[in-house]
Amino acid sequence: MYDAKLDERVTTMDDIKISARGVQVWYGDTHAIKDVDVDIADRTVTAFIGPSGCGKSTFLRCLNRMNDTIDSARVEGTILLDDENIYDKRVDPVQLRAKVGMVFQKPNPFPKSIYDNVAYGPRIHGLARNKAELDDIVEKALRRAALWNEAKDRLQAPGTGLSGGQQQRLCIARAVATEPEVLLMDEPCSALDPIATAQVEELIDELRENFSVVIVTHSMQQAARVSQRTAFFHLGNLVEYDVTDRIFTNPSDPRTESYISGRIG
Amino acid sequence: MTDFTSAGGEAVELRRGQSLLTVDRKTRRRNAAEGRFKVYGLIAISIALVMLVILLVTIVVRGIPAFTQTFVSLDVPLRAEVLDPDGTGDPEVIRGVMTFGYAPLIEEALADAVAETGVQTEIDAAALVQMLSSGVAADIRDRVQENPELVGETVTIEVLASSRADGYFKGRVTRESLERDRNLSPAHLDVLDAMRDAGIVSIHFNWDFVWGADASESRPEEAGIGVAMIGSFFMMLVVLVLSLPIGVAASIYLEEFAPKNRFTDLIEVNISNLAAVPSIVFGILGLAAFIQFAGLPQSAPLVGGLVLTLMTLPTIIISTRASLKAVPPSIRDAALGVGASKMQSVFHHVLPLAMPGILTGTIIGLAQALGETAPLLLIGMVGFIASNRPDGLAEGLLSPNSAMPAQIYEWAKRADPAYYERAWGGIIVLLLFLLAMNLIAILLRRRFERRW
Amino acid sequence: MPTLWLIVIVLILAAVGYVAGRQRSLSSVDGDVRRLHSLPSFYGWNAALWALLPALLALVAWQVMQPVVLNLSTQPMLELDAAQPGALGLAMADVRRVADGLDLAVQTGLMSAEGARGIAPEEVRAQLGGMGIALGSDVTPQTLAAAQHYRGWADVGQWLETALVLLLSVGGLALAWRATNAEFRARNSVERVARWALIAAACIAILTTVGIVLSLIFNTIKFFGLYPASEFFFGTTWSPSFGGSSSLGILPLLWGTLYISFVALVVAVPIGLFSAVYLSEYASPRMRALVKPALEILAGIPTIVYGLFALLTVGPVLMSVFGQGGVLGVTWMGGGTAVMTAGLVMGIMLIPFVSSLSDDIINAVPQSMRDGSLGLGATPSETVRQVVLPAALPGIVGAILLAASRAIGETMIVVLGAGAAANLSLNPLEAMTTVTAKIVSQLTGDADFSSPEALVAFALGMTLFVITLGLNVFALWIVRRYREQYE
Repeated sequence: MYDAKLDERVTTMDDIKISARGVQVWYGDTHAIKDVDVDIADRTVTAFIGPSGCGKSTFLRCLNRMNDTIDSARVEGTILLDDENIYDKRVDPVQLRAKVGMVFQKPNPFPKSIYDNVAYGPRIHGLARNKAELDDIVEKALRRAALWNEAKDRLQAPGTGLSGGQQQRLCIARAVATEPEVLLMDEPCSALDPIATAQVEELIDELRENFSVVIVTHSMQQAARVSQRTAFFHLGNLVEYDVTDRIFTNPSDPRTESYISGRIG
Repeated sequence: MTDFTSAGGEAVELRRGQSLLTVDRKTRRRNAAEGRFKVYGLIAISIALVMLVILLVTIVVRGIPAFTQTFVSLDVPLRAEVLDPDGTGDPEVIRGVMTFGYAPLIEEALADAVAETGVQTEIDAAALVQMLSSGVAADIRDRVQENPELVGETVTIEVLASSRADGYFKGRVTRESLERDRNLSPAHLDVLDAMRDAGIVSIHFNWDFVWGADASESRPEEAGIGVAMIGSFFMMLVVLVLSLPIGVAASIYLEEFAPKNRFTDLIEVNISNLAAVPSIVFGILGLAAFIQFAGLPQSAPLVGGLVLTLMTLPTIIISTRASLKAVPPSIRDAALGVGASKMQSVFHHVLPLAMPGILTGTIIGLAQALGETAPLLLIGMVGFIASNRPDGLAEGLLSPNSAMPAQIYEWAKRADPAYYERAWGGIIVLLLFLLAMNLIAILLRRRFERRW
Repeated sequence: MPTLWLIVIVLILAAVGYVAGRQRSLSSVDGDVRRLHSLPSFYGWNAALWALLPALLALVAWQVMQPVVLNLSTQPMLELDAAQPGALGLAMADVRRVADGLDLAVQTGLMSAEGARGIAPEEVRAQLGGMGIALGSDVTPQTLAAAQHYRGWADVGQWLETALVLLLSVGGLALAWRATNAEFRARNSVERVARWALIAAACIAILTTVGIVLSLIFNTIKFFGLYPASEFFFGTTWSPSFGGSSSLGILPLLWGTLYISFVALVVAVPIGLFSAVYLSEYASPRMRALVKPALEILAGIPTIVYGLFALLTVGPVLMSVFGQGGVLGVTWMGGGTAVMTAGLVMGIMLIPFVSSLSDDIINAVPQSMRDGSLGLGATPSETVRQVVLPAALPGIVGAILLAASRAIGETMIVVLGAGAAANLSLNPLEAMTTVTAKIVSQLTGDADFSSPEALVAFALGMTLFVITLGLNVFALWIVRRYREQYE
């Protein structure tokens, strides 16, 4: 069933959203990312896979400059978003992150109400002119995150009171509420049970209608299920990057093959 | 699905087309707010640091003069016809001469010294003596009694100038302020200037301030912090001897042996609350329990030490428990594994490993206790002149004494501004002790810090 | 026998016990240590503890009980007027002084034992005065009789005490000696004692609290016996006069305390909080390494230094602005000591307290929370204001309450910087006084606790204790709950 879906949704690389060239990252003396080139298509789900510590999350955090918040991190190379280098001195990371949203590994709702959690981004970015507009944005975001039906009667309840899966969907709603162009997801299902995982995966598939989604995952099955393109990272190198189908059925690099068949990782 | 495009749509569409390389107006405004917020933080830190600098500079600038004193060098004729009229040479006879008997000799010596400078003055000899400390006669008498053979000779003695004269050279006393002063007149100052030029009056370091005893209200130039220092020393001795073993024992019990039950909880709650009880309340406890109930003597360093022990115990227990906790459980398991009893594993292995941390915490607790004043006021360690240097442990613990912070308080309460200078000077001495203790604690931590 | 000698003898017996216990254990197995249950030194310690502990406990108990019993048995002989509260204490002090004086006279050989026992009342003062023991008034026959009674029984008590202590020490030693053999579990026995010693040390915390509460309660009750509680708690004037007819209302003192604490918090909370936010969210590691220890210096300075700073520096500076002939040309300030003076300096003192507590609490907010906000495109300050601070709010409230409790209990700064006049006024440039300052002034240098003017200090102390304890318990509870939330 998933195979059929994949086939019909494989997109061309014509519409490139993000283009990274020669990206290097150091944490202090540790060389975490070594010379990575990658092109990420618009309105596609791109998966980053690889063993733990391979640098996939680090690379993801480069895409919206979250590494800026770590004192010891240093990034080199260029990453173009719509042909503009996001590491240009003139770029304000705040503006960038409004365009490139992020969902984290562990659900991290703010200690506020569900409504305020979702309204947080629109408020700081000034997306609504009045209360009614804000209400609309919140509702739309919660619907997109498939949380509206569960949350609509308790919008003022604290977000931390939701279950794990609901919390993660709340975080996704929070991220999509600002209408980003790219959505980065760092192992969004690793803290969730199978049912919640399935819900989130379904959600990711729907999100690609509007966003370019980049997802880091530990689970190869998940990558196969949700993504159209997959990049395999190993020891800070981008080993192979191709259409998901091909990576899982006919990898060209022996390292990819051993990882997929379970020999490394 | 419903159509939501209206909501926030415009703003989003606007942003979609916008380049990242230009900062839009809204972002610029937000960044300005960001900048302002950072500035608030910097202002707050600057205020705190500026206050620290002002405080330290004030202490140093106002305290340093206390360490120097104005001395007058006099050739005092110890005339035998005054001190020992019958020429007996008997120390008993010489002891019979009161300080009053020495006054004319000092007057004479001072008049000679003034004449030597060649300065013309209308002040008579009796009034000139106002330039000297009123304790000079007693000081010379003590010297003569120690060495009766001096009688009949003329000895050169450095005596203290009065606090007004001293204040003049230190800039505390001005000619204007002396117009209405009963002790010294501006005319005296001319004489003092001349004596200074002649080298008879000199200002130099005064060890008596550091080692000496307190003096009466009218003689600030004689007052020193030495005896109070001894009082503080005996108190710290009591605190160390009691709080280290008790604190360590209590921590060992709570950390290693105590079962999780209500009684243990009760102890824990008590310790954390005692750490926050105002120090003055410990003073009330000391007054009611040790003096009123147990009948221990007032103003005794022993009582002060007991009160400060109770006050420091929570601090020491909290830090000791932290260092016991830092010893990994594997060490305990290893000792138990070779058949040691729980008690042996703790005393042979855990405690020695935790010792540097315990000592660091204890020193910091002692430093806190050393600077504490309020409880000492209630147990009577102020309001008298701490003049006797105790000889021996028992007297040091039981005879009335003051303590450094209490002595500083005492000086701050006295009317003569000359005592303020001494209070600041006392603070320098106190802070030097605290600094030394904290440095030792830091060195201990650096030297023995262990990473598991 | 003097107590000191008694202790020395018991210690010697304990030492003997150690050697004997060790020897006996060894000889019971013919020197083969392996056959003993415990190491030989444990047998030694066991014997030493048996010789030492029961005897010392008895000694301490006797020392505590004897004066109480003696006082009770002597009091009826004085036939005092029970209506006068202080009279009994004074009379008993006289009796003890006469008794001690006579003892001293016998000890130094100035008087024979018979002479001391047969001395006439009218001679006592002169005789003792000659030896440097001053008595306030002539000795009545009653007092002398009581003193002789006191001496006699003290003598008997001493003999009984010596006998009992020595008996216990020797008896304990003998018991331990008999129990010592290869099977005896000496280590367990010694460790049991050690364990009890540890427990006793831990109980000192409880004893201290109990001691504080008891010393406050008894004297407070005594005070309320002399002065109506309602006037104390609701009276609006404070004017103690040792001649009587004092007004001892606590309200002006409480007002001064709270006002000064409020000023202190207004200074300390913004500065401390902003410093903590800057240090934890913006400052480079190098700046943190420099600024944090600097702030800690501020915390390590004794309060007497701050008091002096208030009295001699801040007060005069404020006077030169708001006082007569000041920069502003106003006369709002009558003297250097004022609410403002004490409040400002106390605020400086509390800055490091607030900042280090807030720093801990802000750092306890998980990094994922910050990442979530930054990942949405919030600026760091928006993250701090809208996510970190609201998340840390309960903890920060706890920290502020702890700081408030500190401010309320602070003594030296207000004693030196706030003034002595009890005022119910709104003007922060006026001198006011506080609960702590009045405790000091009512109790300093006075050991006679019979007048309401002195006893009121205990009622003030009780009020202070209850307020600060309440604040502390509440604040610690908030902070603990806050920490658990993120663990």
